[in-house]
Amino acid sequence: MTAAAIAVRGLGKSFGSRTALRAVDLEVAAGELLGIVGPNGAGKTTLLRTLVGLVPPSHGSLAVLGHDPRTASLAIRRRTSYLPGETGVYLQMTGAQFLRFAAGFHPRQQTALRDRLLDGFALPLRQKVRSYSAGMKQKLAVAAALAPDVDLYLLDEPDRALDASVRFFLRDVLLDLQRAGKTIVLSSHHLGEVETLADRLEFLLDGAFVPPAAVQAARARLRRRPRLRLGDGAELPAGARLLQREADGTLLVETDGDPMAWLRATPPGAIDSAEVGVPRLEDLYQLLLRAPGGRP
Amino acid sequence: MIAGKTWREVRVMALAYLLILELLCVPVLLLWPEIYGDLQRSTLMRNLGIDFLKRIGEGVSNKSEQVAYLNWCAVMLFFRSTNLVGVAAAVLLGTGLFAREREAQTFEFLLARPVSRPRILWQKFWPCALAVTLPIYAVSWSAVYWSHRLELELPLGPLLLASTHAAAFVLMFLALTTWLSVRCRVQAHVAAWVGALAVVQIGIYLTQRIRPYSLFRLADFDWYGPILSGNTTARQMFDPLHGPGFTTWVLLAAALCYGLALRALRRAEP
Repeated sequence: MTAAAIAVRGLGKSFGSRTALRAVDLEVAAGELLGIVGPNGAGKTTLLRTLVGLVPPSHGSLAVLGHDPRTASLAIRRRTSYLPGETGVYLQMTGAQFLRFAAGFHPRQQTALRDRLLDGFALPLRQKVRSYSAGMKQKLAVAAALAPDVDLYLLDEPDRALDASVRFFLRDVLLDLQRAGKTIVLSSHHLGEVETLADRLEFLLDGAFVPPAAVQAARARLRRRPRLRLGDGAELPAGARLLQREADGTLLVETDGDPMAWLRATPPGAIDSAEVGVPRLEDLYQLLLRAPGGRP
Repeated sequence: MIAGKTWREVRVMALAYLLILELLCVPVLLLWPEIYGDLQRSTLMRNLGIDFLKRIGEGVSNKSEQVAYLNWCAVMLFFRSTNLVGVAAAVLLGTGLFAREREAQTFEFLLARPVSRPRILWQKFWPCALAVTLPIYAVSWSAVYWSHRLELELPLGPLLLASTHAAAFVLMFLALTTWLSVRCRVQAHVAAWVGALAVVQIGIYLTQRIRPYSLFRLADFDWYGPILSGNTTARQMFDPLHGPGFTTWVLLAAALCYGLALRALRRAEP
């Protein structure tokens, strides 16, 4: 990792009275794989659109591959492949026609990677895209976005509508791309998978990145919040308080100390099953939104 | 890439448009001898209360068959066919240029390609421009052949001038529709805006006192008739200092709408 592929300082974007991004600072080194997570409406798409020059920022300075998207977006787009958040594929084309059309804009293509993607995705390329399912359309869009041989890949929820096995396959492909020296910025809702993939993870909330210390504190607190199902007729043992009862009967509780120690101390048969140390993204958002240092 | 894709999308419609124009042209030309006889005998058209219909009636029943035939061609080829079918084709093609991309969620994909926005607009516009203008020339030239079969003359020079004006008029509607297509998110809204404009303009045209303010005054029988008869020269068509210069005004309006479309596309956000 050497020079910064992306350098953003104090980036802000407003749409009328609504603020989508507020004073975002971001630096992504060349060859880095950055994951951005955040709830819907946090500003992930706006940030990616700003980086590729589709949306002009309201204020702040930014440089992508050494160019300012406000004045040289074309130079950036020549060296960048962008996957929009909304699956943009032409329904009237066949899958093969769409790939050819998309490839026509970037003269240098990674044919081996494209073939690997198409093998892994197993798309019926001779059929019209109109007949594809949502997942197949997303696979086609991902294949078209990853095939160009460019320096930077901006991927807005590439794993959307993909099932788990395809997401794992995609993760391997992205890791290989990174090993080849490409810079990748992707947004996602799958916290666990992005964590295992990305060099760095940033939480975007209400249009700004959450400070790492606040994320660490929230995660530490979440580690004390197991999800569990009680045994038949059992009451919640002492040493934990109920935070939330979900529709399927699962309880979200917060323990006073180490949740593993608390679980070990509970009477036999009181707990049917428990999930500890696997923070869910939505829980993390809720906690960050309520935490004093969490909300930006 | 974009131009090729656009052409593949519009070529079938362009062919259909050409066939419709030709089908509207052939019978009215081939039936001319009988129609001329009927028009000579009938006084209905010449006694109509609506001034421009009266002038048409007088023109197509002129004692000289050659003059009457040229007026007939001005009415049927241009005043009727290109104003009706040509404008409709321009609106149909222009409506989807960008609004359909938004509806299909491909607008962002398109804007994110390494192609400048002026180039995107141009590569989408020119195939449509060819699709709506070439059939006008093709049908006009086929009219020369049909006229020869009737042993009547349709002079090529004036016909080319009239076709050029008709093409410019259709281009103006294409550019207007393109501009609205960039601005609107739904194709139906574009069609509604252009449809409303056309209805209002037709309404203005049908009202004698305010007719000069209608867009259709720029492409009616009073304009095409003198061109086909050779009474309006190319200079009078194009130079506002030496004639009405309607063709120049129409082309300027088309350029203005294209400029507005470009401005809107430069500012467009996904």
